[in-house]
Amino acid sequence: MLQVQNIEKYYGGKNHVTKALDRVSFDVDAGEFLAIMGASGSGKTTLLNCISTIDTISAGNILLDGVSIADLSEEELAKFRRERLGFVFQDFNLLDTLTIEENIGLALSLNRQDPKTVQSQVREVAQKLGITGILPKFPYQVSGGQKQRAACARAMVAGQSLLLADEPTGALDSKASKNLLEIMSTMNQEMGATILMVTHDAYSASYARRVLFLKDGRVFNELLRGDRGRPVFYHEILDVLAALGGDVSDVI
Amino acid sequence: MTLFELSLRNARRQAKDYMVYFATVAMAAALLYSFNGLVFSREINTLSKSMSTLPLVIVLASIVVVCIFGWLVAYAIRFMLLRRGREIGTYLLIGLENKQVARLFFLENLAVGGCALLLGIALGGLLYQAFRAIVLTLFGLPYTFSLAFSFPALGMTVLYFSLIYLFALCRSRKYIRKAKIHDLIYLDRVNEDSAIRRSKKRRLLFSFSIALGAAGTCLLMAGGAIFGIIGAGCVIAFLFGFFLCFSSAVPDFFDKRPARKYRGQNLLVFRTLTAKLATMGVLMAVISILFTATFISEGAGLVFRGLFAGRAAENACFDLYIGTDSDKPLSQDYLDYIRENIPVERELRYSVFQGKDSRIMDYVESGGEDYYRYFGRDPVLRYSDYAALRAIAGYPPAELNSGEYLIHCWPYLEKHLADYTQPISLGKASLTPGGVYTEHLLQNYDTGNGARYILVVPDGAAEGLSVIHHAYAAKTDQPVTEVQFYDLYSIQEEQKPAQSGYDAIHAESQEQADAAAWTALTVFPLFFLALALTMTAATILTIQQLSESERYRRQFGLLQKLGMDRREMAKILRNQFAIYYTMPAVPPVLIGVPVILHMACSAEPGVLVGMNSPGSIITISLGIFFLIYGIYILLAYTSLKRNVLPA
Repeated sequence: MLQVQNIEKYYGGKNHVTKALDRVSFDVDAGEFLAIMGASGSGKTTLLNCISTIDTISAGNILLDGVSIADLSEEELAKFRRERLGFVFQDFNLLDTLTIEENIGLALSLNRQDPKTVQSQVREVAQKLGITGILPKFPYQVSGGQKQRAACARAMVAGQSLLLADEPTGALDSKASKNLLEIMSTMNQEMGATILMVTHDAYSASYARRVLFLKDGRVFNELLRGDRGRPVFYHEILDVLAALGGDVSDVI
Repeated sequence: MTLFELSLRNARRQAKDYMVYFATVAMAAALLYSFNGLVFSREINTLSKSMSTLPLVIVLASIVVVCIFGWLVAYAIRFMLLRRGREIGTYLLIGLENKQVARLFFLENLAVGGCALLLGIALGGLLYQAFRAIVLTLFGLPYTFSLAFSFPALGMTVLYFSLIYLFALCRSRKYIRKAKIHDLIYLDRVNEDSAIRRSKKRRLLFSFSIALGAAGTCLLMAGGAIFGIIGAGCVIAFLFGFFLCFSSAVPDFFDKRPARKYRGQNLLVFRTLTAKLATMGVLMAVISILFTATFISEGAGLVFRGLFAGRAAENACFDLYIGTDSDKPLSQDYLDYIRENIPVERELRYSVFQGKDSRIMDYVESGGEDYYRYFGRDPVLRYSDYAALRAIAGYPPAELNSGEYLIHCWPYLEKHLADYTQPISLGKASLTPGGVYTEHLLQNYDTGNGARYILVVPDGAAEGLSVIHHAYAAKTDQPVTEVQFYDLYSIQEEQKPAQSGYDAIHAESQEQADAAAWTALTVFPLFFLALALTMTAATILTIQQLSESERYRRQFGLLQKLGMDRREMAKILRNQFAIYYTMPAVPPVLIGVPVILHMACSAEPGVLVGMNSPGSIITISLGIFFLIYGIYILLAYTSLKRNVLPA
């Protein structure tokens, strides 16, 4: 579904160039749950921004369903984002002037869905994610976990094919994190959502089916869960992190 | 870094962050300085006797303007203090004492105010020249640019500014001295007073307030003092009800109609607006009232200007005119004085007669024209006198054929009287209509050449008619001076006990000077107020809007990620802006238009015509108001668009 081919990303000018991504390549299949791990500054968020078309790449190619996103115009990129991508951010990114229902419905509204069906579609997704009760509330009236579930609902309500999550549990306590990750697993396994999650939390990554490790802008390692249980996979992730060396203090 | 250096650095940042506020304060200084320049200008105050009251009028207006700007500065300083609570709390946290922080805040605001004052005085010098040019043009005098600096005006401006700033700063100083670190650090996280609230009561109040607004506007349109006061009260109640309940009623409306809510940009536009209004409903109502006062001040200024200009145009058609109040002959004292003191090129003593009936007057009234009956019967003038009067006034001759009569009237009656085809009978003569003329002929009141109209008949036909009053008109070699005019006036005063009423004395030069003086005395203070009110209200709206830049930036950043293109974001921002700035401007138009119309229609008919007609006055008032308001909107929009829309 997603093909990342030898992408590079440089920042800075003539005298000072920082290489944020260095020949990164990987594929994501439809219905996959992939986690990208790495310490601070390893290039995870840059990678996610490049895939989500918020940032541009310096070299290489990103293909989504065979279409190179570098070839798209600004208008086509906007259309691509609203139709194909769903986002979940660490700081929730809900609009505080809209109710939870309106925040979710916004994605449909942007996709120019029939206004008459928006409310019913929002309620359907909300029911699946267990947030029907908070729909009329404003973001400041609900907990962090509920906000993140609302963000998940917004990310999939319009039938987006790829859900991009940037540290989705970063601002949540352990109970809310667990709850969210289970919901994401359900979205992946039962609803067929393809998820690409960036995290530095080994526990979160253990919910994925595959983990890519980034170090200094390069793919350092790849770990497949296979048929192993989640706790075993969690410990394997920790082992790889230990091998990452000095940066291990940055990850959990 | 010393405390003083920190203050200066903060002051620079503050002036940059709140550029619109800084510019408005500088303009306030410019206005105060330039108007005070008029107060202390000997040149202006000695233009005519009436102009000697200009300083008093301007000082009174300045006091009101100082209160308005005082409110603006107090509001803006308080607003900035709340926004900077975390920074001020941090100063306390690192060991500064409350009184040191208070002094820091005091100094930086004083620095901002001082810079605005200096800039304003420089601008004010130029603005004063513009006002001087207007006044001299009103008096028909030549204007030459001369860069003059007025120390008394500077002193007054500094005094007014000190009052404005000291009041605002003492309040904030008191607040900081008592503030706790915790309160300051979490000041920006405190929920504003009324977040989105919903209740049946508020929704009912919203509907009720709209009904009150409609009723108030109808009452204002109906005219009359009592209706007007009740109407204005209803509209003010509507403003508060409307803005306080808007944030409850609109979401409720959309909740019941989800399809409409999710259509196009409705969701984003209205939610942003209701969130804003939920915390500034009272402020919006106050701003709306300020705009109403602005609009009415501008309209009133223009009505007065039109009134003075219209009356002067009619009264100044002869170089000198004296009309007696009754059928008693013209006093010889006037004529003796004129012979001795005023060289005359051409003159005429004549009488205004009354006809046999009032059929033309009845006809004028029957046509629905606004007319006050000064006489019992139609006023009549002999043709020879009329021809001489036209020559004195400098008009081309008017022909009168045998067996005809002419009508000379005000332009607003022309069409109606031109349709009159009936003959009139004077004694044995029967006369048919021979034409209508409408030049100015001093036809204001009962002491002029008829009131609004007069019939001009062959001399023979006027024989035997009774006299309404006697009159004298002259074309002088030189314009009648102010001294000569008041000498003639004193002759009338001396005769007063013997007579029942006042003679009318008009001199072209004096009429124009009086019109200029009265225009300056009324229009200047009213526009001074209007400018201060518009600037204050528009600045507060703009500060409120620009303070939301960060939230807007987050919102549009997210919308970009969700796939909205930049053009659509710009459209949403434009729509939010348009509604935000239109809302407080609609009620002033609803209230202002009927009030100004009512004022304009209270003047005697036919005075406010052409550029001074009620329609033109309303158009010009709206134009001035929206021009100033538009500048603020444009400033805020370009600044916000640049800062909040993703590149």
